[in-house]
Amino acid sequence: MKNSISQIKKALIEKKISVGELYDEYLAKAKSGNNNSFNLVIDRENNISSINDSQNRYDNGNPLPLDGIPLGIKDLFCTKGIRTTASSKILSNFIPNYESFVTQQLLNDGSIFIGKNNCDEFAMGSSNETSYFGPVINPWKNKNSQKDNLVPGGSSGGSAAAVAEGSCVASMGTDTGGSIRQPASLCGIVGLKPTFGSCSRWGIVAFASSLDQAGPLTNCVEDAAYILNSINKHDFNDSTSSNHQREDYLVDINNSFEKKIKIGIPSDYLEDVSDDILNQIDNTKKALSKHGIEFVDVKFKTTEYALSTYYILAPAEASSNLARYDGIRYGVREDGESLDDIYLNSRTKGFGDEVTRRILIGAYVLSAGYYDAYYRQAQKVRRLIKNDFQRILNEVDFILTPTTPNEAFKIGDKLDPISMYKNDIYTVPTSLAGLPGISIPSGLSKNGLPLGVQFIGNYFEEKSLLQLAALAEKELSFNE
Amino acid sequence: MSNNWEMVIGLEVHAQLKTSSKLFSSSPNQFGSEPNENVNFIDSGMPGMLPVMNFGCIEMAIKTGYALNFKINKHSVFERKNYFYPDLPQGYQISQFEFPILSEGYINIESGDNQKKIRIERAHLEQDAGKSIHDIDPKYSFIDLNRVGTPLLEIVSYPDLSSADEVINYMSSLRQLLMYIDVCDGNMQEGSLRADVNLSVRKKGQELGTRCEIKNLNSFKFIKQAIEYEFQRQINIIDGGGEIEQNTMLFDTSTGETRAMRSKEFSHDYRYFPDPDLLPVNLSQEQIDKIKPLVGELPQDKLNKYLDNYSLDKDIAKIIIAEKQNANLFEKMISESTVKPKFIAAWLVGDIFAFIKENNLEVNSLNDKTKDITDLLRLISDDVISNKAGKEILPKVLNGEGKPSELVKELGLEQVSDSGELEKIIDEALVGEEENILKFQGGSDRVLGYFVGKCLKATKGKGNPKLINKILLERLKK
Amino acid sequence: MSDIDIKRISYLAKLKLPSEKEEFYSNSLKDIIKWVDNLKKVDTSKTEPLHNVTEKTVSIRNDEVSKSNSVDDVLSNAPERAQNFFKVPKVVE
Repeated sequence: MKNSISQIKKALIEKKISVGELYDEYLAKAKSGNNNSFNLVIDRENNISSINDSQNRYDNGNPLPLDGIPLGIKDLFCTKGIRTTASSKILSNFIPNYESFVTQQLLNDGSIFIGKNNCDEFAMGSSNETSYFGPVINPWKNKNSQKDNLVPGGSSGGSAAAVAEGSCVASMGTDTGGSIRQPASLCGIVGLKPTFGSCSRWGIVAFASSLDQAGPLTNCVEDAAYILNSINKHDFNDSTSSNHQREDYLVDINNSFEKKIKIGIPSDYLEDVSDDILNQIDNTKKALSKHGIEFVDVKFKTTEYALSTYYILAPAEASSNLARYDGIRYGVREDGESLDDIYLNSRTKGFGDEVTRRILIGAYVLSAGYYDAYYRQAQKVRRLIKNDFQRILNEVDFILTPTTPNEAFKIGDKLDPISMYKNDIYTVPTSLAGLPGISIPSGLSKNGLPLGVQFIGNYFEEKSLLQLAALAEKELSFNE
Repeated sequence: MSNNWEMVIGLEVHAQLKTSSKLFSSSPNQFGSEPNENVNFIDSGMPGMLPVMNFGCIEMAIKTGYALNFKINKHSVFERKNYFYPDLPQGYQISQFEFPILSEGYINIESGDNQKKIRIERAHLEQDAGKSIHDIDPKYSFIDLNRVGTPLLEIVSYPDLSSADEVINYMSSLRQLLMYIDVCDGNMQEGSLRADVNLSVRKKGQELGTRCEIKNLNSFKFIKQAIEYEFQRQINIIDGGGEIEQNTMLFDTSTGETRAMRSKEFSHDYRYFPDPDLLPVNLSQEQIDKIKPLVGELPQDKLNKYLDNYSLDKDIAKIIIAEKQNANLFEKMISESTVKPKFIAAWLVGDIFAFIKENNLEVNSLNDKTKDITDLLRLISDDVISNKAGKEILPKVLNGEGKPSELVKELGLEQVSDSGELEKIIDEALVGEEENILKFQGGSDRVLGYFVGKCLKATKGKGNPKLINKILLERLKK
Repeated sequence: MSDIDIKRISYLAKLKLPSEKEEFYSNSLKDIIKWVDNLKKVDTSKTEPLHNVTEKTVSIRNDEVSKSNSVDDVLSNAPERAQNFFKVPKVVE
């Protein structure tokens, strides 16, 4: 059983281990790991002043909330002075002069970064196979074919694998259509996507601006609450950042609910799923029923349109967000006779296949003659999807769904883009609606691979969502 | 004008707004700084950077809405206009497309002896781009991003303009209004105001022709030249049996010719879509109403006031309203004294403006001297000193060399206006002049002038000529 | 469904697809567009597009200057610079 943040803090306070020793332990694991979960690992010397400052605070008895905790950071967050690549060739030499808002909060709370986690290029992918730095390997193995390397999920595959293999206590990821929740499920860990607008996007390499959200991948739900406390803040530099009053996500996390809770299970999500998946839902129901939680059957009207909507809107926004990568002001510049050649060569050589594909889709659906039929239509359907969720959340407090339609598959198995996109079927709708969703490991498949379930809450209700997830986690005892 | 050919022109005017900071970033909005000095990471399009809107730009847009008779739209949306150019770091310009902040306005311009209404289709907010310098090196271009993100208001007219003169009148009225409401500094040399001219030709009564767009004209002279050249160019093509190709043109200031920009492989497709980093603008009526009093009096209102209330000459009034600082100086002087506005206006437009021009001053540099100026004008209009003396003292007052009454004493310029004193002098002057008196009574006016001159000499030039004249006449008639 | 003009789309996206890959991407695009076409079935005649999921009004800041980044900060990542300019091959208009 891996150590939680509260256990580690206790050990640091009780001087059972020093901040430096803790760092060395995780660093060794990060360096020796052969799952390719890091694009860059930070040696002790480069973190020495943070380590010393942290130790001083422990010695003086006033540690910060995340003091000394070694974290992985998805290579999509701009980290000052530390190479940030978005796992792309075009940014492979980019060292930002600024720190993203979210990682700054983590630094302010005393955490120490072990390194930058590998991910799908520009966060586009569901298997971490599109990275310029090579695919990430899931630490879990199929018990019936141990030699096969499996995908960890994506796009935060490196983050999930790093947490699962124990080379960082937790990792900061991003989720656009499921990029935190899906890899968390495939790697047997916890992954939280907060409500859109709760965590600042400032300093995060943008993929799809109306969908991107930063969130933690952790070993347990309580750790997710720790991190959420740190990063969930209003940022006036992000115009989409909500300025509502935030809560303390830890304080009631182990309490039971005072009122009776109703959870909806969408029957349309469970059509044509494997027994493995159905078992996850059943086990979760059983685990929670003894707490007097009521489960009801609900039905969405828009499920069949969610993936189409997402795969129009996200590429459209991405095609525009990635226009700034041209080799002129930063990044890798390829040679060219004319300026136009530099643009064309830098971009064409700098982007991988999947990114190229999505930029082309995006340009197409926004182009004259197609905008109304595709982009505008998708925006309208998005409203219908949002309304659909609101209708259901008027009847129930939470929604329970599988996180992924399948267990981790072999690297190289899904070459067809559309079959890859279908991995996101349970996570994409939540993203389109902007609601918070958390995936917790719920059990193993027949092949001994982890599977997760997703709880979806109402807007900005992360506190009760985490409370529910913690309860389910306790009852499901996945880690034992 | 060629037989029966008409020109049909629409203008797109880009006005830089005078805010302190840029539209979506808090970098300084300043002209003339060192290259890339006013650029932050948002302006240079670094990864992960996000826009935050400057409300000052909205306020300026609302003011413009009032001044140009627009409908001020409560709901407007920022959209991305996607294209690639080295002075556009993000690869898109944040603009407004489907929902602009202002629509359906108009202004009246002079066209010949009449007034003509020019309808304005819309005005919207957008980012300016940076500058590329192409002509200092044969192989390279150099990019300065200082101007990236400067707020622009793009004002798009209907094709209601029919001559180069109308275009100049429209452009200069627009400039005057924008400067009046303190939204733009109107400095065309610095690029604060630029125009794209859309011109097509047709014979009277025909359908609209294909138009060409001449981009980035930044002086009235070039606008006029470009229009005249392009008009002729299009006529020549059609007369020669050809067809007009819709083109984007540049105006070559050295040759006075327009030429098509290098044609691209495919036409532009800007793929506008609402910027997902920004939320829609939804103004309340209160926010809009709050701006109205800040608009202030517009040139037309002032003109009417000057003509109706102050009985000013139209030409003089127009000179005063041409620039807001002229009007401010004028109105300040009126408010600080009881001298007749008409009198003040004449001196302002004459000697005072001449002084300003000679000394290369700003009109508003005289704002702290208005009390002294009007004191001087009071002395003149009260006949305490003569016009001539006034002209002599004026530059000294404007140079701050002293108060008018002091200067008058110092220079001994008071007119003698005491009737008693003058009567004595006149009576003395008339002694022994029986012959001339008879001549006057016989109808000779020249003699009067002789007598006035004699009396002025006796007063050493200080006699009040009007009064001398009056008293003389009384005496002579006896 | 009409053919996808892959040359035009890649021109708009400033990408120069190698000719041997043009068909690969073109087919990919066709498949995906066909797959997302099911949206056309949805009746959205009475629905407004969802611009942003938070449905709030634009955040504003006051018209105040705050220090821009230094010229060196802005140019430090540039692959080619000349004094305080970004340097690119000459652009002909």
